[in-house]
Amino acid sequence: MGFVKYIIRRGIYMIPLIIGISIVSFLVMYAAGDPIQIATAGNPGITEAQRDFLRHYYGLDTPIPAQYVRWLTHFLQGDFGQSLYGGRPVNEIISFYLFETLKLQLISIFLAFFISIPAGIYSALKQRSAADYTISGISIAGVSLPVFWFGIVLIIVLSYHMGLLPSAGAYGSPKLWPVFGISDPTLDALAHLVMPVTVLTLASLAYNVRLLRAGMLEVLRQDYVMAARASGISERKVLYKYSLKNAITPLITLLGLSIGASLAGAPLTETVFSWPGLGRAYVNAVSKLDFPLIMGTTMIVAIMILVANIITDLSYAWIDPRIHID
Amino acid sequence: MNLLEISNLKTHFFTEAGVVKAVDDVSFNVEKGCTLGLVGESGSGKSVTAQSVLRIVPKPGRIVDGKILFDGEDLVQKKDGEMQRYRGKRISLIFQDPTSSLNPLFTIGNQLSDIVIQHDKVKKDAAIETVIKTLKLTRLPDPEEAIRRYPHQFSGGMKQRICIARALLLNPQLLFADEPTTSLDVTIQAQIISLLKDLQKDIGMTLVMITHDMGVVAEMCKCVVVLYAGHVMEIGPIETIFEAPHPYTAALLKAVPRLDQTRKLISIPGNIPNLITPPTGCRFHPRCEYAVALCKEKKPPLEDVGGDHFISCHRWRELRRGA
Ligand SMILES: Nc1ncnc2c1ncn2[C@@H]1O[C@H](COP(=O)(O)OP(=O)(O)OP(=O)(O)O)[C@@H](O)[C@H]1O
Ligand code: SF4
Ligand SMILES: [Mg+2]
Repeated sequence: MGFVKYIIRRGIYMIPLIIGISIVSFLVMYAAGDPIQIATAGNPGITEAQRDFLRHYYGLDTPIPAQYVRWLTHFLQGDFGQSLYGGRPVNEIISFYLFETLKLQLISIFLAFFISIPAGIYSALKQRSAADYTISGISIAGVSLPVFWFGIVLIIVLSYHMGLLPSAGAYGSPKLWPVFGISDPTLDALAHLVMPVTVLTLASLAYNVRLLRAGMLEVLRQDYVMAARASGISERKVLYKYSLKNAITPLITLLGLSIGASLAGAPLTETVFSWPGLGRAYVNAVSKLDFPLIMGTTMIVAIMILVANIITDLSYAWIDPRIHID
Repeated sequence: MNLLEISNLKTHFFTEAGVVKAVDDVSFNVEKGCTLGLVGESGSGKSVTAQSVLRIVPKPGRIVDGKILFDGEDLVQKKDGEMQRYRGKRISLIFQDPTSSLNPLFTIGNQLSDIVIQHDKVKKDAAIETVIKTLKLTRLPDPEEAIRRYPHQFSGGMKQRICIARALLLNPQLLFADEPTTSLDVTIQAQIISLLKDLQKDIGMTLVMITHDMGVVAEMCKCVVVLYAGHVMEIGPIETIFEAPHPYTAALLKAVPRLDQTRKLISIPGNIPNLITPPTGCRFHPRCEYAVALCKEKKPPLEDVGGDHFISCHRWRELRRGA
């Protein structure tokens, strides 16, 4: 089989998919309307001739297939063109927002993943105990609290009333953030992460815990677990080595899906915390029909999801020797 | 001398449907160096008895009462940490199905060496050496290669050899073999039985052979304990058991082994009782052809009938005369 060969093959399969996605989004985008019309709608003084000039300037006046081919040629060279608003290179815009989104999302995703491991094992082990119900309760509360409401409550309490944490953005100390007089940039960035990470982690923790709990309940009934105990293997090793690995696959699937989808960001959380993330930027781009930015973001998100998928599939084979990749 | 003395053991499962009295007042001894057969139909409490000795009864079950004296010490009273040092080291268990009792995600070397490391606090290399040595003992071909493989790369018979090796890694004093051949092909069954027999003889280990198969009992065991619905029906030396048995043992002997796809099942007319509300008196009375009114009312005591033979039956005297 060979992992390298497998990755190459999956990579090749990705190409038609990516092209298909790009064609569909191109068409949908064009069906959605005329970006120049939207951009100039607030400006009554503008003439049709000026609009035509803008369309020509951004290459929007040629036939759609021609535009697509031009876009594709640039895309293949790693160039997503320029934003219709302000003319900044899309690559630059995306990489800024991408970093902020990934930082927020990956921290939250991995936090939820790692917290759910002891929590899921413990609640499976102590099935139907007070501890099990408490863990389920907390995680269900986490998933059912509306992000909007929970985020705002956190901001009101921790930022507005107590002045402990910054309420908005990823950097910089706004007015509400003078309490400790923190000037260290790392601490500052961390302080900005606390609330949005809490909200996002709690929102996904429940699924993680329940998946692992269910998996562990199944695995703990297996003969090989009893056999490990019967051989005198320590309880810790029985759980964390000889049971966890067998129960973790659904959690890995969820991890892969979440990482893949994380790029699309969590627009709601990003909005509540004024986070300079890709999710918010994307929503913004769509509402303004900023074609190059929409295409750029769509492609990055699609590629990320496909890559996460491949990595997830590879990890199955890595976990379970009975699975052959080919 | 007795290596194991079980007295009045009660192991119950506290399920939502009620208390399953899987092992209910079971007593028997296992003589050092000898092979004892533990027989009975499916659901009679054989596996739960073995699990109780190792104190690995799964939830919602637990030992409710009784003593399990191993080498003079009561295992029921041991703390968890202390008990862990007995498992795999002084008392081992071979499971019925080698496929499900090996973890599919770890190599043989990894799973087996962990046991040696756990108990003897040795380095990985030394542990692997012990593993290879023990695998050789079970006549597994090419043990050096085998340790790098995963369970699914072996046949059922090979897997059972690996499981036997796992149980023997640390030269336990007592080995439970819980129907070690039921999931195997008939020809492989014979090989595994003869392997166990040889190993028992060579190592001088005490073996408790749990089985449905009276043929295996006849071939291997010196002494037999017959369980039915969590009760001991009969205990005795092999010859006596085959000659003048308890009505239930007689039914077991008469029952024709039926070759199912994978398991050899014995069938006695009637059903195995529900252990939540077991039959009163003698638990076998609903199916016993000799049952009388007394059998329904009073539990027959396990009586010493002489010659190390014990019977739990109200009518043993008459039946023996009649036989
Ligand atoms: N985990 C459990 N939960 C509830 N009841 C159980 C559990 N394990 C065993 N029992 C019950 O205990 C009784 C005895 O089971 P046990 O496995 O000891 O039978 P056995 O004699 O080994 O039968 P077999 O020949 O089928 O292996 C059965 O009625 C079974 O339903
Ligand atoms: S006590 Fe009665 S029911 Fe039980 S085995 Fe003896 S004769 Fe049969
Ligand atoms: Mg059993």
